[in-house]
Amino acid sequence: MPKISRYLTALLGVTGCIGLLVTGEINPVMAAGGLAIIPGYYRVLRGREAAPAWVIGAASLLTLGVFAFDSIVSGDVFLAVAHLTITFQAIKSYDLKEPWDHLQVYFMSLLQMVIGSEMSQSVVFGVVFVLFLVSLVAAMVFAHFVKEGRGAHIRLARPIVVISLLSVTVTSAFFVVLPRSSYTFLGKSHTKGIRTTGFSDRVDFGSFGEIKRDSTVVMRVELDPDIPAPYYWRGMSLDYFDGTEWRNSSPRQSRIEKSGDEYVLNPHGRSGLVEQKIYLEPIDSDAIFGLTEIMGIRVDSFSARSDSGGAVFLSRKSSRRVNYSVLSEVRDDYPGVASPRYLQLPRGMERIRELARTVTSLGRSDGEKARMIERYLKRNYSYSLEPSPPVRGRGLIEDFLFYGRKGFCEHFATSMVLMLRAVGIPARIVNGYCGGEKNQYGGYLIVRQSDAHSWVEALIGGQWRRFDPTPAVAAPQIPSLALFLDSLKMAWARYVVGFKTDDQKAILRALSSLLASPSFPAVGWKRLRMYGLLITLIGIALASALLLLRGVKAGRHGFASRKYLAMRKLIGVRGRRAGATTPGEVMRMSQGSSVEEEIREFLGMYVEDRFGKRPMMPSERKRYGLLLKSIRTGLKKRRG
Amino acid sequence: MNNNMINPFIKQLKEQINSVIRGKESAVKMAIVALLGRGNLLIEDVPGVGKTTLASALARATDCSFQRIQFTSDLMPSDIIGVSIFNHDTREFEFKPGPVFCNIVLADEINRTNPKTQSALLEAMNEKRVTVEKKTFRLPEPFMVIATQNPMEYHGTFPLPESQLDRFMLHIKLGYPEAEYEKMAVLGGPSFLILDKTDPVVSRQDILRMQAEADGVMVDDSLVDYMMEIVSRTRKDDRIRLGVSTRGAQFLLYAVRALAYYEGRQFAVPDDVKELSPLVLGHRIILKTAKFTADAERIVREIVEEVPVPV
Repeated sequence: MPKISRYLTALLGVTGCIGLLVTGEINPVMAAGGLAIIPGYYRVLRGREAAPAWVIGAASLLTLGVFAFDSIVSGDVFLAVAHLTITFQAIKSYDLKEPWDHLQVYFMSLLQMVIGSEMSQSVVFGVVFVLFLVSLVAAMVFAHFVKEGRGAHIRLARPIVVISLLSVTVTSAFFVVLPRSSYTFLGKSHTKGIRTTGFSDRVDFGSFGEIKRDSTVVMRVELDPDIPAPYYWRGMSLDYFDGTEWRNSSPRQSRIEKSGDEYVLNPHGRSGLVEQKIYLEPIDSDAIFGLTEIMGIRVDSFSARSDSGGAVFLSRKSSRRVNYSVLSEVRDDYPGVASPRYLQLPRGMERIRELARTVTSLGRSDGEKARMIERYLKRNYSYSLEPSPPVRGRGLIEDFLFYGRKGFCEHFATSMVLMLRAVGIPARIVNGYCGGEKNQYGGYLIVRQSDAHSWVEALIGGQWRRFDPTPAVAAPQIPSLALFLDSLKMAWARYVVGFKTDDQKAILRALSSLLASPSFPAVGWKRLRMYGLLITLIGIALASALLLLRGVKAGRHGFASRKYLAMRKLIGVRGRRAGATTPGEVMRMSQGSSVEEEIREFLGMYVEDRFGKRPMMPSERKRYGLLLKSIRTGLKKRRG
Repeated sequence: MNNNMINPFIKQLKEQINSVIRGKESAVKMAIVALLGRGNLLIEDVPGVGKTTLASALARATDCSFQRIQFTSDLMPSDIIGVSIFNHDTREFEFKPGPVFCNIVLADEINRTNPKTQSALLEAMNEKRVTVEKKTFRLPEPFMVIATQNPMEYHGTFPLPESQLDRFMLHIKLGYPEAEYEKMAVLGGPSFLILDKTDPVVSRQDILRMQAEADGVMVDDSLVDYMMEIVSRTRKDDRIRLGVSTRGAQFLLYAVRALAYYEGRQFAVPDDVKELSPLVLGHRIILKTAKFTADAERIVREIVEEVPVPV
């Protein structure tokens, strides 16, 4: 195999492996084993011989054994296959002999890309993917040229650039044309979810501090219309406290009816609703988040369920990124029904009961009492992620309220719920996220793991009202470069991963209204701008590819040559050997045909103009056309 | 396409030679091309198919002096280039020119003599001059060597090394004539009788002028690239141990010009290159497996069939 082909194969093999590595899912040991690919291709590029067959055979057998072991032990065949491809690529790099081996590498890289796209949705993977596409095209073009027996070195650059540009263009076009659900190619995910202990169906206090220190982005939210803070992203509420942890006493869930493309929780009118477009990263919970009160949800999902605590679940145990829109009527209270379970108290609450009575003694209504408890907790206790561990024998909350006096939101919210219940006000704890920082680069909110929060809902006058007894903490400043990078990720999630049918409709609508009337600001400007940019970019890419192609054609062939090529095609000299056919051979081929004379004249003119560099008269240019025409008609007559 | 005006001199020359040696149009054409391109011709074939007749007919028809040297194993270099003899009258050494001092030299069965003698001739034909005892003698112009080789006989031969083969512009085969021409030849009597009756149709001056004119034939740059591509592919081919040299490429260009001139064109076309490549390049490559030049020619032909023709 020629040198350039070896380079391309090395590039493809390594790109495939990098594509898998950037997903961050690969076992470090396997990744380290895959590093053998580097000396492997180094050898190939230096033109060394392939490793002996028995070495390859032994390594392959070993790999298969490891694969079997891997898939049984990890229980994850998918990941095991990913590991297998990496090892296989490494082995193959020592065993490149025939063209078929190179093809195997290409195929393996393609497989790696498919697997990688299942496991990652990061921008980095996107970049690797584009690199892969370009090198694959290059390799294929090159293979084609080798097959066609053309000169290998010089004329390669342009076709590769042109075809890569074209394929990128076509791919982008497909993004616009093909509808995709949230779970398709490039959008599917195999990633393990972000650990969110707070949102399984029970909550314990141990790991909360950890979560609060984790700045991983959980979701990105676009608000329409934009409303000011505070944002309480409600996840699920819990009602039963056993002294150490919260859980849900009635885990029964009911299906939510779908009407159109929307799961409707509350029948509602269109106006006054705030739409939250949420790009939720893979988390290990199937609860979804939104501002209260959630009226409806638009999402691609088979079903949606809700529980008695007002939480909404999608039918996915999600380790996937999911995009959805929540429609909410944003307010601090919403209707609710009292139930004895909202007054449940664990045993040994006498001291807390007493404290609650003292704190609320001056309160005349439930509302006032609740407000007093909230204020009491906020003022007299301090926030800390490292509360002193409770003394043995004392309850967790008792310890917080009477001894440690330091804690995080779980402590505050739990204390408040218990105190409310102690004075006879139904209450429950709510887990979710609070806040979110505005990213000025993309105009959306970033919600991080560290924004995880617990707060309180109390049923006062038939309305659930939100209370947050946790003292405010200063939020850390995020450097603007990080914000800018994050906006790129958002754009990727928004326009590449999350591109859906309604986006296509939006494009079409925008285009049609653009055509229909000169004033079209009815369509969301911001969206339109992005799509406009996208379409313009595609257009530019297409135009430049065309120009380049034309330039190549026009630049290489003069007038006489173009006419000659047309004539040659006309009389049927084409295919593999056509390139090596001389005018004289064309002449001999046409001997005995009805248009022999015309062809003879044509070829005489052509060789004289082309190789004799005779200056051409306009009449001669015309003569080419005339001869071509009579050759065409002559041939037709013969066929007819 | 060949509606160009054929040079009347060439037309006459062609007809005259063809009247002597019948049915060998393409060999005659190549002999004239070699003459026009200032090249030397190597004819490889079995005895008795007209190698000598072709050479002498060419000489006769061009009014050129002609010498035939039968190469034998005991031939000495001085037998070819000449010898200095002491002249008793002038009391000086006097150079007696050998048979190489004529316009057309037929080196018959060149592979029968020892390498020393072979190289004496080949140096002469390459530099168009002879140096004897520090004195340089120019060979007459035009000068052309037509060498013949017998491919069948290996016993007691000294095959020409590649470096020597490289000095021949064209390498052709005659082959047996077709049946009707062969019958004609058999019935027509000894060829030397016919040769005696052959009159020159062009002068030496005409030949020199035509050689100069052939130098002026235009070769488009894309055609030169085409030739270079063919040459470079002979160097990369898996079947070939040694590819074509730069001198080979040079000879191809000269031959292409001469052929274009022969066809009456002022410019070369791709067909010239395609037609000449096997004849000009075939004997310059060494194959990995086969030993026969016929195979080499076939492989060059195959290579040429793969190279895209400039359009």
